[in-house]
Amino acid sequence: MKLKNVLKSAGVLGAVGLGSLASQAMADQEFLLTITRPNQLHVIDMSSNTIARTCDIPGPFGTGSIALSPDNTHAYVLSNGTKDVYGFDIRNCDITFKAEQSSPTEQVISMQSIAVSADGKELYTVQNPIKKLSDRFEVEQPRLAVFNIKDGMDAKVVRTFPVDRRITKIAVTDENEVILGGADLKGINPKTGEVRMVSKLASWEKGPLWLPPDAFAMHSQGEQMHEYIMPYVTAKFDSEDWNFETAEWWWGISRVDLKTGKATRDEVLPFQFIIFNFVADPRNPDILYGSFNTLSKHDISKKETLIVHDMPHTYYDLNISGDGKTLYVGGTSSDISIHDSDTLEKIGSIQLTGDMSTSDLRVATIRN
Amino acid sequence: MAPTNKSTRRTLIGSGVLLLAGLASASVQADDAKQIIRDRCLACHTESGDASAPNFSRISEQRKTPEGWLFTINRMINLRGLQISDDEKREVVRYLADTQGLAPSEAAPFRYLLEQDTNLVEEGVDQALAETCARCHSAARFGLQRRTTEEWQLLVNFHMGQFPTTEFHSLARDRKWYEIAHDEVAVQLGEQYPLLTPAWDNWKQAVKSDLDGRWRVTGFVPGKGEYDAWMTTSKADGGRYNLSLEGQYADGSPLSGSGKATVYTGYEWRASITIDGVKMRQVMAADAKGMSMNGRMFLASEREIGGVMSALKDTKAPAVVAVMPSYLRKGESTALTIIGQNLDGDIDLGPGVKVEKVLERSDDRIHLMARATGDEGTQSVQVGAAELASGLAVYGELARVEVTPQNAVARIGGMSKMPKVRVAYRAVGYSAGADGKPGTEDDLRLGYMPAEWSIKPADEMAAEEKDAEFAGTIDAAGIFTPGDDGPNPKRKMMANNVGRLAVVASVKDAGEAVEGDGSLLVSVPDFVRRVLD
Ligand code: HEC
Ligand code: HEC
Repeated sequence: MKLKNVLKSAGVLGAVGLGSLASQAMADQEFLLTITRPNQLHVIDMSSNTIARTCDIPGPFGTGSIALSPDNTHAYVLSNGTKDVYGFDIRNCDITFKAEQSSPTEQVISMQSIAVSADGKELYTVQNPIKKLSDRFEVEQPRLAVFNIKDGMDAKVVRTFPVDRRITKIAVTDENEVILGGADLKGINPKTGEVRMVSKLASWEKGPLWLPPDAFAMHSQGEQMHEYIMPYVTAKFDSEDWNFETAEWWWGISRVDLKTGKATRDEVLPFQFIIFNFVADPRNPDILYGSFNTLSKHDISKKETLIVHDMPHTYYDLNISGDGKTLYVGGTSSDISIHDSDTLEKIGSIQLTGDMSTSDLRVATIRN
Repeated sequence: MAPTNKSTRRTLIGSGVLLLAGLASASVQADDAKQIIRDRCLACHTESGDASAPNFSRISEQRKTPEGWLFTINRMINLRGLQISDDEKREVVRYLADTQGLAPSEAAPFRYLLEQDTNLVEEGVDQALAETCARCHSAARFGLQRRTTEEWQLLVNFHMGQFPTTEFHSLARDRKWYEIAHDEVAVQLGEQYPLLTPAWDNWKQAVKSDLDGRWRVTGFVPGKGEYDAWMTTSKADGGRYNLSLEGQYADGSPLSGSGKATVYTGYEWRASITIDGVKMRQVMAADAKGMSMNGRMFLASEREIGGVMSALKDTKAPAVVAVMPSYLRKGESTALTIIGQNLDGDIDLGPGVKVEKVLERSDDRIHLMARATGDEGTQSVQVGAAELASGLAVYGELARVEVTPQNAVARIGGMSKMPKVRVAYRAVGYSAGADGKPGTEDDLRLGYMPAEWSIKPADEMAAEEKDAEFAGTIDAAGIFTPGDDGPNPKRKMMANNVGRLAVVASVKDAGEAVEGDGSLLVSVPDFVRRVLD
């Protein structure tokens, strides 16, 4: 279906008058992107909550990691056990880019790490290489790999720079610094390879009463705020004996503003239950929503949990509409659960053809 | 390919060099195996050193159990593309287990893994090893291997390449997992479990005993009970044994079976046996002199369902191997059976225990009525010159019941491809001992006791989820069968039939019921079936 048709049918089905149809046609269009098993990229129209189109991704499932081009018309996904990268024009499912990262003598995977440069010309991955010798493996230093997007279907690495181990999600700032989500949050200049500390986590200096943070960004879906969120769990002990029973357990987040590259880090909520992902309300950065076995709403300025809504199964991730009104809760299984962000009540759902597993749930906003 | 050693062996044996046949076949077999390694493995591995004492890269720098070697070679087949026939594989496993195995003392702390006793919580694992390694599999998996430090490091590299998410897991991503594993833990393992040890040197030199003969056997089969039997073993072709087992369960019903066994590393007994139509496996270790074997026998199709087994070789000397039951309540006339071999002479059950009447007597079992009047304690049981120290526990009152396994995992199944994983329970009784307080160190272990079995929710949350209703049932013999897999529409959130339960054994002692419980997790199917967990 063509974008225009989607627009039209959405407008008509929504029983809106002609006037509003016209104004909607001028407005930005939001699409929710996710990947399901066996390996399909779904482009979901968020005005009608219906699947606009489904693109087949070549090869077996990766982890469902998705990165968007700056104009949001193209999505780059990890496939084939995260060894390969494919690029799609989400307006028509055309495959525009392919990079095979592994070779017979070197296995390369990217653990979620994929991003597009601010000017849309380069694609970045963090590669975790293993040399495969005939009777042994050798572990090599991870590296930031740079591809030219215009190289299209047979893209090869054009530059590499060494980076830390254990990097998951990466993101690009407006100044084209690549934020590396690892044990510490660092930034790398993809022209020079120069690395700076953005937000200390593993090497924080909070003293002996704090448990080193367990930080992990499997998804980090901050596109509506143009931010990168690295959640972590830590504990504050009452003495250096580290009694885990009496410790205060905290959720914290490191938050990078992708406009400026500036970061904040704070313990934001008492740890009460597992939250796999946080997303911020675009209307108020102090309001966070979280998902896992529950959908929850929090005011971090008060370090308070406002609402907890039980979910029928685990949902790894969530995202939010640009107006902040609607939450999309997905991952794990094959349904995206739609909720009102005021009350967290369920207001709809979208059934997909397969399980999302660990896939991202991204919002692509195509501006008119 | 070199001239086939298989035909060499045939000629040698066939040419009637009878006296030498045994010896020659062993070394020819080793040559055979080396040749198979050359033919099958050197596409990827390399050979160096003397042709008579070759060094095969990666292969020669480690030692492990037969199951450990099988595990690795299966990986070579499944993941690396090794092509090898079943016969060749068997020969290579045997050769490597014999020449690069574990000494009995090295395997001893981890026999539970070889015996496939999965419901056991490992204790006392060093914290670095527990967090770095034993969070995915047992500590026994590496406790049953010996390697050079470099080989331990290459094992870490294998994990990184095969399971690249390893360093991103919880308990890995909050630290420098790879650096810790490669530079610290592998070095520690190289010291704790090195390739070269005096224990292995000694065992390699030691004269190994044949395990053929007649064995007096006792053991337990879940659902059937305790048994005593005779096992006859005789050497067959290619270092294998034929065996037969004839005996009876405690309720008098007969037991009969036959099968085949292989002995690895001079002491590791592995048998497949069909008992009354049911295929079972025996995993035992022989002692240094080849006079006794101890281990476990379990269903071939369900390794969780099994019980202890021990065998004592018949050397014509008199021996008592067991008393069933192993306990005697003071003041009560009780029927006991003494199991042994070549039993002859007076029966003595220790001070204060009176043999009231001998009901039946042969040279391998004595059925009698006994009554204890004296003190609590374990008594040595004598028949003529044969003595079993601590063979009988005399007690006043049952004070405590322990359920084994204490912590178990069952798995729902049956509807999908995955079978249900059951748990076989037993109850062990204790008296309070001299201090009169149950649960203290001086409690007197009485032995396995018959119990009434039931389940209940593990706690309030499990009660609310109605776990005891959905997760499964336990039968009179103490075998827990979990529920079907798949979502259950009757459960909250369409949950499947998982649950957390307490398994309760209620043992009657002079009319009073004494209860004990164990904790049981009923979990989802485990889709990976491994040789060694
Ligand atoms: C097609 C190539 C190939 C063949 C054939 C092959 N191997 Fe390997 N072997 C490898 C590779 C690659 C590794 C390293 C990765 C691993 O451990 O799986 C390895 C590792 C090993 C290791 C070390 C494992 C560990 O746990 O550290 C052993 C032992 C081994 N092989 C034994 C054998 C034996 C015995 C054979 C022949 C019966 C064989 N291999 C045939 C490729 C091969
Ligand atoms: C992420 C989970 C994980 C961690 C952590 C892990 N292992 Fe393993 N290990 C595995 C799996 C899965 C296999 C099975 C490989 C196969 O299929 O052959 C394995 C296999 C093994 C084997 C058998 C290999 C062979 O061929 O003999 C050994 C020994 C072993 N691991 C030791 C270790 C040690 C030592 C560590 C810590 C440094 C460790 N493991 C950490 C998952 C893990």
